[in-house]
Amino acid sequence: MVEVVMEEVVVVEVMVGVEVLEVMVVVELVEVVEVVVFRLNLYELKEGRQIKPYTLMSMVANLLYEKRFGLYYTEPAIAGLDLKTFKPFTCSLDLIDCPMVTDDFVVSVTCSEQMYGMCESLWEPNTDPEHLFETISQAMLNAVDQDAVSGMGVIVHIIEKDKITTRTLMARMD
Amino acid sequence: MALQDVCKWQVPDTQGLSPHLPEAGGWAVPRGCDPQTFLQIYGPRLAHGTTTLAFRFRHGVIAAADTRSSCGSYVACPASRKVIPVHRHLLGTTSGTSADCVTWYRVLQRELRLRELREGQLPSVAGTAKLLSTMMSRYRGLDLCVATALCGWDHSGPALFYVYSDGTCLQGDIFSVGSGSPYAYGVLDRSYHYDMTIQEAYTLARCAVAHATHRDAYSGGSVDLFHVQESGWEYVSRSDAYMLYMELQKAPGLEQEREPEPEPEPEREPEREQEQEAEVSQVRPGPATPQDAAGGGELFVEPEEVTAEDDGITVKTEMI
Repeated sequence: MVEVVMEEVVVVEVMVGVEVLEVMVVVELVEVVEVVVFRLNLYELKEGRQIKPYTLMSMVANLLYEKRFGLYYTEPAIAGLDLKTFKPFTCSLDLIDCPMVTDDFVVSVTCSEQMYGMCESLWEPNTDPEHLFETISQAMLNAVDQDAVSGMGVIVHIIEKDKITTRTLMARMD
Repeated sequence: MALQDVCKWQVPDTQGLSPHLPEAGGWAVPRGCDPQTFLQIYGPRLAHGTTTLAFRFRHGVIAAADTRSSCGSYVACPASRKVIPVHRHLLGTTSGTSADCVTWYRVLQRELRLRELREGQLPSVAGTAKLLSTMMSRYRGLDLCVATALCGWDHSGPALFYVYSDGTCLQGDIFSVGSGSPYAYGVLDRSYHYDMTIQEAYTLARCAVAHATHRDAYSGGSVDLFHVQESGWEYVSRSDAYMLYMELQKAPGLEQEREPEPEPEPEREPEREQEQEAEVSQVRPGPATPQDAAGGGELFVEPEEVTAEDDGITVKTEMI
């Protein structure tokens, strides 16, 4: 009997432009998020500048590999914009840190097959933020409808050059 | 024990294979290892997980179920049918392995038709429950999973039996079966009483299943509602679980707004105290086969329509 206890996706906004999405087990999720934020703050203090998305990916990968044999059951996905060129960056990592950088989209664990299908059919390159919001909303809502252990709502963050827009969508509550 | 040794009596193994199992009784069995091991190693992941409930009251027996078929975490079908008519006065709610339930119900339907012809009267619910449980108990130990509530109205009035595939057959007033049953029991136990009106009973059943679909991951989709009366069973409604849940969120006493729905669903008002007999008109007469019931096919499309941006999405924008 699987009970819905709380949202299982935590989005940590680590700075303007880069966000890390964590999924899976809640207990380790909180720990991983806190460690990432801790290391990120240290980095910014040491370097005196904001982190690049690619560097953040390496940092998270290193963190996960430290627990290679006693795992963090977390498969993060990172999405953001490069600081100088504002080129979008998406990547996902599996739970023992294999990073995968893509040009189009990344999906998370539980209903990844459904989401791959939806994203593959709906995603188009070079669209404006509103269109992208529509695309990701439809992809998420329909994918989680086909998964028993996902759903109850969707939070969408659209990351642009100067702002992040957060929207909460109503979904099937079953 | 001493007496046992003297009499050379072995305790019968109630968990293993029944000794009365036919060797090749029409069921194909893989060679080499027993079916249980074979299925565990090679078999497909079978569909489980549901919420079904049934309760009997003065005006008959209500049967309600969700419509989600799940295989592990994948939703195999969001609009399946879990309440199966067995005879014109008998229904069964099914949970467990979908394939087992459907097949055993077909076998039961065949047996009941023959029994009615032989005996010249409608089979009783108690007899049907006993028939089903003895048929399935011969296959005990082979991982059959059928947990059903047989609902019917026979010569003794409304009757309700719970039958499980290991041979359990229990009579009762309220049964809820499936992974979402604890949540449904909570709602049912609070509001059930034998002398409910029909509308109260419909509301209670829908409310209980709606709560279970919200909390249980493996229940969802829609809520099917059936009513067995003296004249036979009747398909009352299929309501989308999302719509029901939204209605449940509205505070009691407020005017209920009609949601824009793509198909003509009867409006359900859970907190209304006065039940007018005119509301019985919401009950659609049961068609000959539930497959023809309105709304069954459209519901598959509905989630996408409901979650379209125009009405469904609550937009909360924060600018950083």
